[in-house]
Amino acid sequence: MNAAIVGIGATDFSKDSGRSELRLAAEAVRAALEDAGLAPSDVDGLVSFTMDTNAEIAVARELGIPGLTFFSRVHYGGGAACATVQQAAMAVETGMAEVVVCYRAFNERSGHRFGQVQAAAAANIDNSWSYPVGLGTPAAMVAMFARRYMHEYGATSEDFGRVAVVDRKHAATNPRAWFHDRPITLADHQASRWIAEPLRLLDCCQESDGGVALVVTSAGRARDLPNEPALVEAAAQGSAADQFTMTSYYRDDLTGLPEMGVVARGLWRRSGIGPSDVDVAVLYDHFTPFVLVQLEELGFCGRGEAKDFVASGALELTGSLPLNPHGGQLGEAYLHGMNGIAEAVRQVRGTAVNQVADVEHVLVTAGTGVPTSGLVLGRG
Amino acid sequence: MRIGDALPEWHVEATPTFVISTALATRDFQDVHHDRDRAVQRGSKDIFINILTTTGLVQRYVTDWAGPEVLVRQVDIRLGAPCFAYDTLKFFGQVIGREERDLTVEVVGRTAHGDHVTGTVRIEVPA
Amino acid sequence: MIDIEEEAARIAGQGGSAPRLARDPVNLPMINNWLEAIGDEHPGYTEVAPPAMVQVWTMAGLRGQRSADDPLGQMMAILDEAGYTSVVATNSDQTYHRYLKVGEHLSVTTSLEDVTGPKRTGLGEGWFVTTRSTWYVGDEPVAEMRFRVLKYTPASKPEPQPGPRQAQAIRPAVNRDTEYFWEGCRQGELRIQRCGGCGLLRHPPGPMCPECGATKPKYLVSAGCGVVYSYVVHHHPQVPGRRTPFVVALVELDEGVRVLGELAGEPAIGLPVEVVFTEVDDELTMPSWRPRADR
Repeated sequence: MNAAIVGIGATDFSKDSGRSELRLAAEAVRAALEDAGLAPSDVDGLVSFTMDTNAEIAVARELGIPGLTFFSRVHYGGGAACATVQQAAMAVETGMAEVVVCYRAFNERSGHRFGQVQAAAAANIDNSWSYPVGLGTPAAMVAMFARRYMHEYGATSEDFGRVAVVDRKHAATNPRAWFHDRPITLADHQASRWIAEPLRLLDCCQESDGGVALVVTSAGRARDLPNEPALVEAAAQGSAADQFTMTSYYRDDLTGLPEMGVVARGLWRRSGIGPSDVDVAVLYDHFTPFVLVQLEELGFCGRGEAKDFVASGALELTGSLPLNPHGGQLGEAYLHGMNGIAEAVRQVRGTAVNQVADVEHVLVTAGTGVPTSGLVLGRG
Repeated sequence: MRIGDALPEWHVEATPTFVISTALATRDFQDVHHDRDRAVQRGSKDIFINILTTTGLVQRYVTDWAGPEVLVRQVDIRLGAPCFAYDTLKFFGQVIGREERDLTVEVVGRTAHGDHVTGTVRIEVPA
Repeated sequence: MIDIEEEAARIAGQGGSAPRLARDPVNLPMINNWLEAIGDEHPGYTEVAPPAMVQVWTMAGLRGQRSADDPLGQMMAILDEAGYTSVVATNSDQTYHRYLKVGEHLSVTTSLEDVTGPKRTGLGEGWFVTTRSTWYVGDEPVAEMRFRVLKYTPASKPEPQPGPRQAQAIRPAVNRDTEYFWEGCRQGELRIQRCGGCGLLRHPPGPMCPECGATKPKYLVSAGCGVVYSYVVHHHPQVPGRRTPFVVALVELDEGVRVLGELAGEPAIGLPVEVVFTEVDDELTMPSWRPRADR
């Protein structure tokens, strides 16, 4: 594609921001524009999540953006993350806009917590098969997949725990991470309480307050801006047969995430690279089991082999596939995947706190268990 | 240390281990501080921090900031929302009064449910 | 009828309770336990105790009981009798006259300072009871505490109803495509959508057959038997209308489709189960699972 991420911005990540979601959005967008060396008057496009409470026009008002020629929202919760950049890149490529900012901001810990049971969600007819029977939280919905995955492939709670240990290890050396300086051991993971068996507390990401914004423009214009551009080498969305939101329980096989398989095929085809070319993987980690499944869907290992791949140390910063060097959503903060895209940009620029050497291509994925999206960012 | 000086924000993760170990270290054996089932039976959502611990945390917040040479003369606290296990207790503080060597620091400890503790600590700084 | 103010005046008139001696003198092991638990790394507590520990020394302990002349205990009993049965601490104001040295042996006396009420509070109507405690080393007062509790009648809240299903249980949305299923549950039938064109069985249902495109959904009544395909034991957070932990099972019916429901009993993948119907109210009956007896 002929587009690049040229600016990243974020608020602090906290458990209680003490300010409105709109203020978080406005602060993040302003920070991203400053990072890009652009002004609000340069912006003519805004993209966010359907779930975001901040209307594009409200964000534009706060920033003093004079006009918008492109605005768009993406559905399906965290599955939207990478797709916001895809929307922005398509707008830039088709000439619908020149500078598009993608944003996501919420008080997801101090305000509306996704980890609690959302009784109102049962008003959706699809959810009427799950919520009323007591399956009402994202953790429980993922746990149903995880139990079957364990049964089929012999994976254990410890195999899930190793993902949390790696994320928290990386977060420990990231001063922006909520869990900065607080690594965990596998024993800590095993001692943490059950949330929804087979998921323990430390298999679940944080709930966070904060905002993240990303500035997208054309590769041509990016060359005139101060930062090394993170080129959008590929972007993809995916949903698969018999798709539900978090509860695709009626497919023949429950051990995969076929919607991520759709994304993977799109990314590899469009970028011209393959799994072995990826230098850093920022994989969506709201719950650890789906990190294992993603490794398989994306082709980093075979079906059922992710537990051995993870145990081999491949996900360490010095491993063959460094995972979430910022600490992921288990360690840094849960910003619906957008903080992971910002980390990918830093890895491409070479400015991350846990910088991986000689980064050419970074893979980023969005929410799992839902229709989702992905990006390959790189130096082009 | 002048009137208006803010103390750095401090976060305490009220893990169950923290709630229980502090309750026992303050010799407070009420079940709501260590037995989740009983706490829930009594209408709480979980075990919660006891008052003696809150007093201790307020003292620690101020002495961590002011240094070990100061003497703590008074801790006055008002209690609000309980601080449950798994809550993050965030402390904020500010110097609100000074008379010679006597300094008054206002402290607020807040969880996602609201103010857990508000109060003042009077300390005496070295001459 | 109890005159609370009169009783308060009587108890206040008794003055301080008899001095109660701390179990142990001020000592380093207890100081260190306290510092470790609080996480306080203050280097100065090697010969003196942290001031905020003062109350710790005279806590009653694991099997401690209030002495008969304890004014707070007496006042609590009177308010209990008057119907103010709940208690919450509201204030603790401690003044430290000096730091306490290791080896010093504290005693404490408590008097009733003030009882005011009845007051309307966010928690309910109640009385504020204020006591004053003084700690001594020998005859020397070393620290004081004013302690206030609210003794109140909880504002009436609807009692949670017993049983696994309560009025606030989450209800399904029902529309023209799904109403046959819920109607079946009310009649004790587990209905599975069956395409009127090609016969495809399908759950959850929808208006158009993904196989043949027909819009003639019919249903068959399942025998209600299957095996557990996967399951979750839900612990946190609380779920409206349920008591944690509970099990939700994804069951593969003998007819070949999967249906979610709560499972009573020890879960395992492959466990043979059968459907049971639980009436929530006149309008809603939920299907759930129990292990099959004939396995």
